[in-house]
Amino acid sequence: MKENREERIASIVLIIFSATYLTGAFFIPMPALKQQLGPGGFPIAIGFAMLILACIYAWQQFRGGTTAKESEEEIEKRAVIIGAEEKIEKKADLRTMGFILGLMLLYAFFFEILGYAISTFLMFMAGAFYLDRRHLVRDGVIAVISSFFLYYVFTILLRVQLPAGPLKFLEF
Amino acid sequence: MDFLSNFWGNVVLGFSVAGTPFNLLLCFVGVFLGTLIGVLPGIGPMTGVALLIPLTFSLQPTAAIILMAGIYYGAMYGGSTTSILVNTPGESSSVVTCLDGYQMAKKGRAGQALAAAAIGSFIAGTFATLMLMLFGPWVAGIALKFGPPEFFSLMLAGLTVVTSLAGRSLVKALFATIFGLAIATMGIDNQSGVPRFVFNNPELMDGLEFLVVAIGLFALCEVFVNMADMKGAVMERLSIKGSLWMSKEDWKRFFPSCIRGTLSGFFVGGIAGAGAAVASFVSYGLEKKASKYRDELGHGAIEGVTGPESANNAAAGGSLIHLLCLGIPGSGTTAIMLGALLMIGLQPGPLLFTQQPEFVWGLIASMYIGNVMLLVLNLPLVGMWVKLLDIPLYLLMLFIIMFSFLGVYTMNNSIQDLFLMVGFGVIGYLMKRLDIPAAPVILGIVLGKLMEEKMRQSLVISDGSLMIFINRPISLFLLLLAIVAITNPYWKQIGRVVRRLFGGAPAV
Repeated sequence: MKENREERIASIVLIIFSATYLTGAFFIPMPALKQQLGPGGFPIAIGFAMLILACIYAWQQFRGGTTAKESEEEIEKRAVIIGAEEKIEKKADLRTMGFILGLMLLYAFFFEILGYAISTFLMFMAGAFYLDRRHLVRDGVIAVISSFFLYYVFTILLRVQLPAGPLKFLEF
Repeated sequence: MDFLSNFWGNVVLGFSVAGTPFNLLLCFVGVFLGTLIGVLPGIGPMTGVALLIPLTFSLQPTAAIILMAGIYYGAMYGGSTTSILVNTPGESSSVVTCLDGYQMAKKGRAGQALAAAAIGSFIAGTFATLMLMLFGPWVAGIALKFGPPEFFSLMLAGLTVVTSLAGRSLVKALFATIFGLAIATMGIDNQSGVPRFVFNNPELMDGLEFLVVAIGLFALCEVFVNMADMKGAVMERLSIKGSLWMSKEDWKRFFPSCIRGTLSGFFVGGIAGAGAAVASFVSYGLEKKASKYRDELGHGAIEGVTGPESANNAAAGGSLIHLLCLGIPGSGTTAIMLGALLMIGLQPGPLLFTQQPEFVWGLIASMYIGNVMLLVLNLPLVGMWVKLLDIPLYLLMLFIIMFSFLGVYTMNNSIQDLFLMVGFGVIGYLMKRLDIPAAPVILGIVLGKLMEEKMRQSLVISDGSLMIFINRPISLFLLLLAIVAITNPYWKQIGRVVRRLFGGAPAV
């Protein structure tokens, strides 16, 4: 039943989101020049559709019981279609999840401050250290290649601008 | 005769464009990277194409699409390899291939299974390209007569067909599509200059970059899913024993299923507009009904590999018809390709065939070349590709993080984009937990702006009356199609209700 609780919370979040979007759509200012359908028309229509769908979703979740409208086979047939939609059934490892999220946020924060090369190197090493520290030397070599070496490949060979950070003096 | 000489002129033009050393190199790089992506677990064609889009920024549109099409095709090929050897589909359209492919490999016939998949894919891909050549200009010619109302209805039909096939729950899939449309409304409205959902943030004036959402929803989401749910998973794989060559008996069983797969796949992908995954399912079902050896299916029958693999490649080629002739993507991957083309500043659609023939025919020619390259790249080198599975999962995930950041940052040099991308990564993970499909979101974002534009143009024509969508026959037909697609899962129920209402009268 835990799964159902997750879905119930989600359906309420979606209703709030849709309602907020719809409210925002009503506040879109009208331009001075009159148009058949102003800039607000399409968002309002979308907002209504989204709100209705979110309510149906919530109704499906709160009505209780199973949503066994379709036969299992029918559901599975449609399940795999478009983008590997395998359902996550195992319990998520929230600690690792939090670590990865924190790693990404820090990486984004330091991307310009430390520059591409240093921040990538640190991100890589931190990730390797946390996830599997049995091959630190090998991972270190890979980290150097994908940070410092790749930085030069991009900036000098491909002429793609990447943030240099404190290594600015190395540029030529 | 005029048609024929035109046709040959175009083919020659195409090969002269695709045959330049640089474009040949790009085509090779594309199919190579595509195969790499297809083989690697957890990176499907959608993630792959999205991650590699930044590579195309500095390229001309023709070169860019040649590279992307190569990646797309390559990923389709590569996915089957892991299905057969590891029983882990590299992407959703090779899920069915696992059923018989892995069984064949278990019986020591991995070589033949790989060969059947590769040759079947080659034949189907070539057929789809040929059809694109023959019918593409014709479809584009019809679409040229479309006005804004027809285009609006066409996009609506396209969205609903794809949505109705995505995921387990129609409500969730529809919500995802409309969520995509909602994201597309962010930024300055280009018809009135009014800012919408910008939150006084100057970087949002141009709206959310589609690549930020795509990479977040697919690439970073994969990282979360893989790290949180399958840490330390070890995959067992079967070695390739025996020869790659199929026996006479194999060939005899290969051709009928290959032809069935190709035709049904092309129909599903090219005409019905559904993606490659649907095509592979339809084909497996067809084999179960039509094959002479249907009892062996599921126990390592070659038909179970050939059919779906031919079908998914034929469908992949077929959905390019939609993309090129109508500018409407028929699957998640083609939606991402469309987004990339729009970023480069090229609007695919019916005018493409007349205004930029070197683009269209260059792409078509490169698809032939890419198909041949893939055959060469895949069959003899299959051992090398399988070695890729030795890369530890955590390193792979760190690489995905790195490439995601690299790609999104180089687009606008914006740190805010990076944070938004991480945000969409989290949203993608939550969506996956809740079983809400992500592909429709991308479809919605890519088509949103255009759809709104066409709707407003239509209303200008009709002076505000919505009847314009119903009064025009083609538009009406497309709208009806959309309704059929949406109500499809409920037909059985509706039928039951009708029967009950009319006192058990025999239904059709």
